[in-house]
Amino acid sequence: MKNKNERYFGEFGGQFVAESLMNPLEELDQAFEEAIRQEEFLKQYDYYMKQYVGRENPLYYAENLSRVYGTKIYLKREDLNHTGAHKINNVIGQILLAKRMGKKKVLAETGAGQHGVATATGAALFGMECTVYMGEEDMRRQALNVLRMEMLGAKVECVKTGSRTLKDATNEAIRTWAKTAEDTFYVIGSAVGPYPYPKIVKEFQSVISRESKKQIMEAEGRLPDVVLACVGGGSNAIGMFAEFVQEPSVKLIGVEAAGLGIETGKHASAMALGQPGTLHGMRSYLLQDEDGNIQIAHSISAGLDYPGVGPEHAYLKDSDRAEYVSITDKEAMEALLELCRLEGIIPAIESAHAIAYAKKQAKKMDGDQVMIVCLSGRGDKDVHTISDYMAGKDCY
Amino acid sequence: MENRIEQKMQYLKEKNEKAFITYMTAGLPDMAGCKSIIQAQEQAGTDILELGIPFSDPVADGPVIQNASYKSIQQGTNLRKVFALMREIRSEGMQIPIVFMMYYNTMLHFGLEKFVEACILSGVDGLVIPDLPLEEQEDLRALLKKEGAPILIQLVSPVSADRIPRILDGARGFVYCVSGMGVTGQRGNFHREILSYLSQVKKVSKIPVMMGFGIEHAKDVAPMKDVIDGVIVGSYFIQLLEDNDYSQEAAMKYCRDFKKELNA
Repeated sequence: MKNKNERYFGEFGGQFVAESLMNPLEELDQAFEEAIRQEEFLKQYDYYMKQYVGRENPLYYAENLSRVYGTKIYLKREDLNHTGAHKINNVIGQILLAKRMGKKKVLAETGAGQHGVATATGAALFGMECTVYMGEEDMRRQALNVLRMEMLGAKVECVKTGSRTLKDATNEAIRTWAKTAEDTFYVIGSAVGPYPYPKIVKEFQSVISRESKKQIMEAEGRLPDVVLACVGGGSNAIGMFAEFVQEPSVKLIGVEAAGLGIETGKHASAMALGQPGTLHGMRSYLLQDEDGNIQIAHSISAGLDYPGVGPEHAYLKDSDRAEYVSITDKEAMEALLELCRLEGIIPAIESAHAIAYAKKQAKKMDGDQVMIVCLSGRGDKDVHTISDYMAGKDCY
Repeated sequence: MENRIEQKMQYLKEKNEKAFITYMTAGLPDMAGCKSIIQAQEQAGTDILELGIPFSDPVADGPVIQNASYKSIQQGTNLRKVFALMREIRSEGMQIPIVFMMYYNTMLHFGLEKFVEACILSGVDGLVIPDLPLEEQEDLRALLKKEGAPILIQLVSPVSADRIPRILDGARGFVYCVSGMGVTGQRGNFHREILSYLSQVKKVSKIPVMMGFGIEHAKDVAPMKDVIDGVIVGSYFIQLLEDNDYSQEAAMKYCRDFKKELNA
């Protein structure tokens, strides 16, 4: 049994799951710790990162954006990965682990569908049976990704309970895992869930900041002043922060979704107004009502539409190592279109939240300072939402 | 005063009887109706009653309890109101042992200390918390040392294996053996090694062994009769209440028949 310090980030994290999942989690933790100490496993992971995912991806100096925003901005191009987002980094790692553990089936939850697509992709590559749980509402918003998953051979289970978005898809994935843990591997897509998942997701996503650190040293000969990423559950952000957490000169900023505005109550900013609580196996900041029931999150971005946040982010906030801010739907959409026009890059709506805050943050910086923004995904999946938004239609 | 669950277990042991425990979601069909079903069960001889405190994200539950929780929340059921119901029940002299089945966040949000205090004042005898495994129980257990505090009922699963002795160390009341993998209300889905698993628990347990999840009728547990000390029926009982418009008679008949057949 792991002691509390290992299972927690400060007072966040832990394992708030059914007894039947405690041994599977222990088995997972042991397999993971063994794997990441083994050269063969790491070589395999690196091989697929390079040859299949297309890493390393560029740390692109966004010249036009830098000129307009008034500080040096580099974009970490996770959008150029195979499947179009950072999610694949973690999925390849977890599926390689599943294979090592002798599992034949994988299951996953998905919000925007990026993690679902990545899991379906990894499952196809490694010949595993794949089931993805997705909220009915998200299936409607992200119909294209549903098609992709099906083409890749995955079964997409429509979740019709509660908010019919990521929160409920995660509930259903946990329920199914509790039934099938003996032969099924649960591929969690964000830096959430019971220990050891937040640790595992961080490990496999930290490739983002390992590359970024090396690349910025080559380009600028120094560390960045600011590192910025969007936060739903927080997987791209934790991967983007990982290598910089130990560098006190680097300011870390996580950008949550403010939806229609924090003051309207229709938002997804667990850090802004949430209170610590337990959900999906972890203790972290959560949006709750006065009875401790979990509230429905609101964001135009399906990938940020989650009422909680990864436990390590909760810890980074409470220990003042990282700052968490939020961006409204409107601000994100404006930034999205601005990036399209200035740089010829269509970002995912999720990533556009980070771009929008970069604009605000840049105002506090001078022209020689350096900021890295994680461009976590590409916006192809969002074109319908973007066009609805531009036509003034309801995007919820 | 001795804990009502332990008293009841002692009584059943002396009479050489198996325990019959039901689960119902608090606040359904409404608070008054819920109270009348509790009364009916006390009369029918149900040994212990589990009251489910509804939570928005019941990950250990199947569709029946999910729907019941959702409905109950819609009707405004919350912990405060269920404590009020408990005080009413106890002040009217009902002595049936009552266990709260709830998710950890509900009590965390209420405040652990305040929660335990309210349990003591309103006569709650036990707690079943499906998302609070042994490793996370420290904070709550420290508070449950108080005089008159409810017992934390320990759950074990078919894959608990080497964890069983640790879980049972210091456990009180009874041990709740989950019959299969997964969630509540999966009929006929007992684990393939259910008998050896229950026997393993029985061998090391100093307290009565109860089996729950997916049980509908006494005949479902006939093959396990020799290794268990009682059963817990949840989803099926809730469905039965729903199908019979929460009739006291239907609840009483089901409980009486089950208890009788269980001990035949």
